Amino acid sequence: MANVVRLFDPKQLEGHPEKFFRQAYIWELPVRLTHWVTGISIIVLFLTGLYIGHPILAPAGEPANHFVMGRVREVHFAAALIFIVSFLFRIYWFWVGNNYARSGFPYIWRAAWWREVVGEVIEYLKLRRGRAYLGHNALGGASYTFFIVLLGWFEIFTGLALYSEVNPGGPLDRLFGWVIPLIGGSYKTHMYHHLVAWAFPVFVLMHVYVVLYDAVTLGNGLVGSMISGHKFYQREDVQDDK
Amino acid sequence: MNKPFSPASTYDVLRQHGIDRRDFLQFCITTAAAMGLDAAMVPQVVSAMETKPRIPVIWLHGLECTCCSESFIRSSHPIAQDIVLNMISLDYDDTLQAAAGFQVEEIRQKLIKEHPGGYLLAVEGNAPTADGGVYCTVGGNTFLNVLMETAEHAKAIIAWGSCASNGCVQAARPNPTGAKPIHELISGKPIINVPGCPPIAEVMTGVLTYILTFDELPELDRIGRPKMFYGQRIHDKCYRRAFFDAGQFVEAWDDEGARKGWCLYKMGCRGPTTYNSCSNMKWNGGVSFPIGSGHGCIGCSEANFWDNGPFYQRLSSVVVPGIEATPDKIGAVLGVATAIGVGAHLTATVAHRLSRKPITDKDQPTADKTEQE
Ligand code: HEM
Ligand code: SF4
Ligand code: SF4
Repeated sequence: MANVVRLFDPKQLEGHPEKFFRQAYIWELPVRLTHWVTGISIIVLFLTGLYIGHPILAPAGEPANHFVMGRVREVHFAAALIFIVSFLFRIYWFWVGNNYARSGFPYIWRAAWWREVVGEVIEYLKLRRGRAYLGHNALGGASYTFFIVLLGWFEIFTGLALYSEVNPGGPLDRLFGWVIPLIGGSYKTHMYHHLVAWAFPVFVLMHVYVVLYDAVTLGNGLVGSMISGHKFYQREDVQDDK
Repeated sequence: MNKPFSPASTYDVLRQHGIDRRDFLQFCITTAAAMGLDAAMVPQVVSAMETKPRIPVIWLHGLECTCCSESFIRSSHPIAQDIVLNMISLDYDDTLQAAAGFQVEEIRQKLIKEHPGGYLLAVEGNAPTADGGVYCTVGGNTFLNVLMETAEHAKAIIAWGSCASNGCVQAARPNPTGAKPIHELISGKPIINVPGCPPIAEVMTGVLTYILTFDELPELDRIGRPKMFYGQRIHDKCYRRAFFDAGQFVEAWDDEGARKGWCLYKMGCRGPTTYNSCSNMKWNGGVSFPIGSGHGCIGCSEANFWDNGPFYQRLSSVVVPGIEATPDKIGAVLGVATAIGVGAHLTATVAHRLSRKPITDKDQPTADKTEQE
């Protein structure tokens, strides 16, 4: 069997698709919406953030006629606000959405969860298809929790703390100002905000690749499911879903 | 030095030194303005100076370079040298004092005994704590002991400069002597941090004037700094800020932008991350400040500023266990490593797929079970 890869072959569908696939509505509108809004705002945040750290355009003439750095910062802050709203709304939907909105939750205190994650890693390394889930699989859930939720919170807290510096003693300062001495000063906060920013392109690369890989190997319409909300599944797959 | 324990007010002492009332009032007004006090408060400052007995002060020097004292005695006001040295009753200062040796230590002991809870302790420098504090000794005693002993009965503690308030160079990594700022060594006493290497002279006199006038410490921020002098970043009051927002940056010390006075952000200016009064009060009586002379701020009043070097780079190294590099270097390596990983997996998958046996209808579902074992 060693050489058999369970890649989905569309030819199997010919004539009798219902034998293989059922369809289910998995991702509700808020999930799909926050997914794309979060994704786009992260890309904007990363690019404008890198620019803030290393501005390269150098307009000539009087400063009064230009607002390049200022504009990039404005875009960063606007994208940050959108990111935060979308992020918080997704957390809210975690509680009120359907069961799939809660899928992928990292049960780090359960041995079974770890076995699941390690098992999936091994399957990917062996070039097999990932396990099919209707919601998120455990490995996917682990990566979203770490990269988006945990590091997202980090960027939000450090970002809002840095943002609060323009109005010392203001409401944002009172809420988030404590982050700065905790990290060891304003400069260090900039550096770690900047460092952690790089986790996002790392995540996007892996995420897009694994989604495409699964979409091809499982043939379950994974990419389209984040647009339409519908996933296709085989009857056996559902047994994997917890 | 004045006679110890002089009950006279600041004004009395100034008059004895031949300073006229006009100069005295001028000093009160400038200082009140620097503290951000309403003009209506000036009479209160004047009356405090005139009537309140000066506060006895013990001024200790630990691990430090004396730049704070140097700054302090160079206050900008024409008669400031007299004023600052007379504003407080500086009863013990081992650097400025005429007496020496055991005599000096006796004075300190006597002061503590005679004014328990009544004197201010001003600390310049910090205390090394490694190996029992042996890396700084005064009269055969470790500075750590001297500090603790003197702090015990102090009314409040002023931590002068970056050494005392956040560690400065001697606490920079790897901090071989275990130097610690005052607030990490002493608890249960009001402590005011006046960072800077050194702090601006007018900031120092401002702090003292406030304490003298209102008999309490000024409003402090989260990390114990007086808000009136450390409430805002250099960057938010910098006259080059328009160039920052426009995106016009100096790229080399002798380029066109440098000549035109553009923003020094890309030359490593720490103004955006530094809380101090340099960009509004300036130095040496308002003559200039580093950015005014075309050099970026090095962030001397911020904690760990020595560890945030190189000073001429916008992004310095960050330390994550085992690695020390700029965030962009670490990030780019992670990004490239991920891309290589993804590329390798993709290549392997394609190669594998090309060499696989064709899947038939029959083995599709059942193959699952066998393969997962
Ligand atoms: C995925 C999320 C984010 C990424 C990837 C990101 C990335 C970055 C990067 C790389 C920088 C440059 C840091 C430097 O060199 O000083 C930066 C600066 C900054 N970011 Fe973010 N950021 C994110 C989220 C946020 C959020 C949620 C806020 C909240 C308001 C925020 C506020 C700021 C501020 C205030 C600065 C400093 C701007 C300046 O110094 O002028 N960021 N960001
Ligand atoms: S010179 Fe420094 S403090 Fe002034 S605007 Fe530029 S970065 Fe900010
Ligand atoms: S400009 Fe910056 S480095 Fe220079 S004295 Fe002020 S705070 Fe210190």
